[in-house]
Amino acid sequence: MTVKPEHPHRTLVASNIRNFCIIAHIDHGKTTLSDRLLEMTRTIEMRDMEDQALDAMDLERERGITIRMHPVTLGYKARDGQTFELNLIDTPGHVDFSYEVSRSLAACEGALLIIDAAQGIEAQTLANYHLAVEHDLTIIPVINKIDLPAADPERVMNEIEELLVIERSECILASAKNGIGIEEILEAIVARIPPPKGHADHLRALVFNAQFDAYRGVVSYVRVSDGELRAGSKFMSMAHERVYECTEVGVFAPQMRAVKKLGMGSVGYVMANVKSLGDIDVGDTLTEAHNPAHVPLAGYRKAVPMVYCGLYPNEGDEYGDLRDALDKLKLNDAALIYEPETSVALGFGFRCGFLGLLHMEIVQERLERNYNLDLIATSPSVVFRVTKTDGEVEMIDNPAKLPPMTLIDTIEEPFVKATIITPPDYVGTIMDATIARRGTLQNMEYLHDGRVILTFEMPLIEVIVDFFDQLKSRTKGYASLDYEIIGYREGDLVKLEILLNGEWVDALSFIVAREKAPNRGRALAEKLKELIPRQMFEVPIQAAIGGKIVARETVSAIRKNVLAKCYGGDISRKRKLLEKQKVGKERMKRVGRVELPQEAFMAVLRLED
Amino acid sequence: MSLGVYVHLPFCPYICPYCDFAKWPMRPSAANAYLAALYAEIGREPVATAETIFLGGGTPNAYDAGTVAGLIGRLREHFPAPAGLEPEISVETNPELVRTGDFEAYVAAGVTRLSIGVQSFVPDEIRTLGRKHTPEQVRTVAEQARAAGIASVSIDLMFAVPGQTADSWRLSLERALALGVDHISTYGLTIEEHTPFDAWHTREPRAFFDDTREAEVYAIAIDTLEAAGFEHYEISNFARPGHASLHNANYWANGEYAGLGVGAASYRGGERSVHTRDLQRYIEAVTSGQPIPSESESLTGYRRVGEAIMLALRTSRGVDLREFAGRYGVDVREHYAPAIAEYCEAGLLEDDGRSLRLTKQGRFVANDVCGAFLSFE
Repeated sequence: MTVKPEHPHRTLVASNIRNFCIIAHIDHGKTTLSDRLLEMTRTIEMRDMEDQALDAMDLERERGITIRMHPVTLGYKARDGQTFELNLIDTPGHVDFSYEVSRSLAACEGALLIIDAAQGIEAQTLANYHLAVEHDLTIIPVINKIDLPAADPERVMNEIEELLVIERSECILASAKNGIGIEEILEAIVARIPPPKGHADHLRALVFNAQFDAYRGVVSYVRVSDGELRAGSKFMSMAHERVYECTEVGVFAPQMRAVKKLGMGSVGYVMANVKSLGDIDVGDTLTEAHNPAHVPLAGYRKAVPMVYCGLYPNEGDEYGDLRDALDKLKLNDAALIYEPETSVALGFGFRCGFLGLLHMEIVQERLERNYNLDLIATSPSVVFRVTKTDGEVEMIDNPAKLPPMTLIDTIEEPFVKATIITPPDYVGTIMDATIARRGTLQNMEYLHDGRVILTFEMPLIEVIVDFFDQLKSRTKGYASLDYEIIGYREGDLVKLEILLNGEWVDALSFIVAREKAPNRGRALAEKLKELIPRQMFEVPIQAAIGGKIVARETVSAIRKNVLAKCYGGDISRKRKLLEKQKVGKERMKRVGRVELPQEAFMAVLRLED
Repeated sequence: MSLGVYVHLPFCPYICPYCDFAKWPMRPSAANAYLAALYAEIGREPVATAETIFLGGGTPNAYDAGTVAGLIGRLREHFPAPAGLEPEISVETNPELVRTGDFEAYVAAGVTRLSIGVQSFVPDEIRTLGRKHTPEQVRTVAEQARAAGIASVSIDLMFAVPGQTADSWRLSLERALALGVDHISTYGLTIEEHTPFDAWHTREPRAFFDDTREAEVYAIAIDTLEAAGFEHYEISNFARPGHASLHNANYWANGEYAGLGVGAASYRGGERSVHTRDLQRYIEAVTSGQPIPSESESLTGYRRVGEAIMLALRTSRGVDLREFAGRYGVDVREHYAPAIAEYCEAGLLEDDGRSLRLTKQGRFVANDVCGAFLSFE
């Protein structure tokens, strides 16, 4: 390949294109507003879109969050008579997917920031706002749900001025539900968001999302930043330096519709016989194979799993099925990673890495529901950075694999900056919960309406282990939380191990702060006592740190379990009863002589403070 | 192979709060209609020889002794014993309802076993169980049965009754032994769904025994009765030599039986079936010549073998390996090797080369051991 000398680029402005996204805290009305925008621009019949876009997304729908949606191109004839192409790019609604959010934002010039008129600014509003500002987006604040009785737009505007430093005059008051303010929003998109600017040649297209289609392979969603992308041309993925022939390009109108080319500034899709989502990553830059750009668009990184857990088939003979199912999921989920691992207790399985807890739960549920697998998941862990006394550094994603303490110089763990917005009444209980989780308060700010913004730094592992649930229950659902990873910090950490009936159960090991270890050990032993059904012999449960027992509980033996009467009329009924008991028992995992229910492996998540 | 015949007489003077059998309060008109239906059902059965006849309930002696004797006569006519064999004929009895002369009529009809529903000799426990007899009545009834010449007299006792103590349970056992009975059945209280006890248990679970306390009183029964010369021949049954219930032994040997009456169960030709528990439907079906609504199932393969093992393990005789090989074509030792090894090692099962039996310890957790032999094929 010959490298051509750099030419001075011709700069273009796609003056009738606007690329924007909608960002919001959960439940502030993002979906409804999107629907209204589509209706208003007569882009589609709504029903069609829901069926199409949300198909096979029941998990997300059940959880009230949309993880991924197609971008949609809206044709809008503005009041001034000009026709615009408005590309609405969806952003995932969860902190686990913040990298994907950042890529979607990178594909836009502007963002609608939706804020619930009754609830005001929440933690995700802030997190999204900061991300949008980082990407230099023009922000249009929309105060939604002004029709609610509890709506207080004045208060929300105060918050916006105070926290986001946006003038109140820029706010649009709307009710997506009742169609109020929709046209104003569309006009603001056209008037305030700048049109895309780029070079006429040297194609650079940002892959901001991708989906796997069983028939067509990978469909990458792109925003063309420079040059143009033509069907039939050859392009290169800059992250992997691999060349593909573009079989089809198209737009979302809203269904996928093939076009000859995607020009500068436009948003659409690309197909190129790409077999797996791992081959062209989200954040990748596509360029012309024959006239490549020299520098990719900024911001690409490999998705880094933050949370790991072991997944094991309950039945050993389902190992192959589990592997096949993971292979298939991986096609559609580049962020999922997995490697075979073996556990003394659980046999053959996989150590799987996820973007976060939600991602983990979604993958587990997919495996169980769509692939009909009966799984045992071990407690989630983060990746610890262990420096050994010989200077060697190891990344430990499985607590059972932590080297002996005598060989360890330091253990570092990922930390997050957590932002919590809460009514003032709950500050005390939140402080208690975060301090118990080794959090340190960094900042505390009062909002106009009396709510408080708390900023903490705390270890990621502490956030993962039931912090969301705790926060929700301690604040009756009023507090909102968002967090971002801020790097590794050294911690005084130890491995807590569990012995059942005298045998070490590797899958129950976890890493914990030294000062909390004895309490956690006691709590875990107690929890296991609750979860482990009584067996025909006594089961001692021991928690140990560095070989020293710190807690002991005993599951007492079943003393009597026999049916009193078994005469002529009882036989079928009693047999069925015993069969049922047997089924329950067979669902358990046998570790040594002890039968363990699947929940036992997640027990560490359910400990009280 | 011969048959056991079970006849269900569902009427009771009152309903006990723990009972979930097919039973109704005694009403003469219903009792007469039912009896007629029962005769009709007998008439519809193919004539067959039977080694045992068992009248259970309900409360069979809610019918007067003459009626019971007549019914037995009819049954013996239709289900004669094999030649040269005296049939075992058992009747369950509520001690409150016994009148002088009843047992003479029973003996004349051929009754050889009397099973007296006592449950307890402790007045508080009797009251808790909703029963109305006195310990004195029981003594009189046992003496009358003996005097009338009934060959085997049995008493039912119940343990794990709320309010019971180790001492009060010992007292009941000793009182039963003092009556010189031949057979004692001891049943741990079982909470059956939709009974008043079920509701009580839900409301106040702590009033009831946990399994540790239940094991304690069960052990007392075993120790006390074995010391008195009784053989613990089935999980809930103890007998002096020669007095075990043949009728019940047939159930545990997976033998065939015909059940007559409402809610009665049969096992013939590999099929288990249970008549409807709806009294009205039963009577209507029989008197109109219709088939009696029933539920049935036929087990095959290892499901059948598993059930047979579940039954056999309840008895002191256990699973006779040669018999099982001949009857079911299965090498029990080989097919269930892992389970046998595990439970033998745990001291719950013993294998003497000819049979598999629960150990004394194994009888306390028979469900767990038996469960290992059940399969779903």
